[in-house]
Amino acid sequence: MTTFKQQQSHSDFLKAINPFLKIGLSLALIALSLFLEQISSMLVLVGGVSVLLFQVKVPWPLLMYSLLALTVFAVVSAWLSGNWSQSLFNTLRLLAILLPAPVLALTTPPTDLIRSLQQARLPSFLTLSLTLIWRFFPLMQQELQRIWEANQLRGIDLKRQPRQWFSGLIVPLVFQMVTYADEVTIGLQTRGYSPTAPRSNSRPIRWGQVDTLFCLMALLWLGLISYVEWGI
Amino acid sequence: MINLNWNLRDYVFAAFMTIGMVASVFIIGPLVPPFLDVVAWGPVGGIFLTLGMARLQKRGSVALMVFPLAVLVIPLSPAITLYLVLTVLFTEAVVFFRGNYRLKRNRLLGTVLFFASAVAIGIVGGGLMVGDVFAELLTKPWLIALLSLSGAITGGIGWWLGENIVSQLKRAGKLDDDL
Repeated sequence: MTTFKQQQSHSDFLKAINPFLKIGLSLALIALSLFLEQISSMLVLVGGVSVLLFQVKVPWPLLMYSLLALTVFAVVSAWLSGNWSQSLFNTLRLLAILLPAPVLALTTPPTDLIRSLQQARLPSFLTLSLTLIWRFFPLMQQELQRIWEANQLRGIDLKRQPRQWFSGLIVPLVFQMVTYADEVTIGLQTRGYSPTAPRSNSRPIRWGQVDTLFCLMALLWLGLISYVEWGI
Repeated sequence: MINLNWNLRDYVFAAFMTIGMVASVFIIGPLVPPFLDVVAWGPVGGIFLTLGMARLQKRGSVALMVFPLAVLVIPLSPAITLYLVLTVLFTEAVVFFRGNYRLKRNRLLGTVLFFASAVAIGIVGGGLMVGDVFAELLTKPWLIALLSLSGAITGGIGWWLGENIVSQLKRAGKLDDDL
């Protein structure tokens, strides 16, 4: 999707990894961060995620905004608790909870994610909904832009006139969305699509050598964190 | 919870309302501080939620709109997924005893419950997982109640705006007549 296109990864290695493996690693890291109690082990965890973060091209404004929000969080929590080291630890824990999944998600092409979700035998309505969201979200962004420009042509600057947001922006957008929804339904029906019918996949996602390598590296990393925390 | 009588039209409509909710998160999110994002999201997110309930009408409508979003954010944050699922389950469980979303007052109840519980579950979940500032909030139940009330009010505003659009859509012949 647009977000993925804007923040594509530099690395083909991470892009090639099985999406389920990345989701699994994210869950493992988040769960582990909840049990860690030492700042050194938390640093190993966040440090590793930061290395992965370099594989993703994050826009500067987003990075600066995130850093600012994090600093505000750390300062406010230190001010409230009066304990700077505890505040630093909690900030690192927040990073450990928030960072792994986006870093790994931004290195996953949306089509791969949809394909893997299809393979996961999720209920068909979920797969259909996810496909539609991925496909039509950028289109709705374009519609939003068109409506915005149409307002400008009529001399309405929505940035300076928030009162016009409802009648000038949201109502036309909803009308467009309802029209799109009806047209997509008719399009799917005329093509004989049924959410309950079994579906096949022309390019199923398979386990590869890079997945094994990634798995080994992840296990080493998790092992190192455990060693620093518990000495095992 | 998911009604077996859903049809393709319902699935597609619910997906488009989910897109609306996601888009409004992207618009509102960066404009407000983290504690107030759900409260600020209420007026816009509530519009799409109300519209979806008005069109789908059956029990489980909120789940049909929010569960795909919850699955979608698994790679971004499993914690948000859990929070969305809990919020939906709570909303649907309460509305289950009231019937369905055919009536305006049930749609109001659903929207208000969704946003109020989202704030409360978000703060409690944050307090248990992250601690620190969120944990401090857990020691001030009046503040949680105040924020939840704010969520309920902004959700109510979203419902009112949503019903306004529903009547406009009806007049334009874009929604079913029996709403």
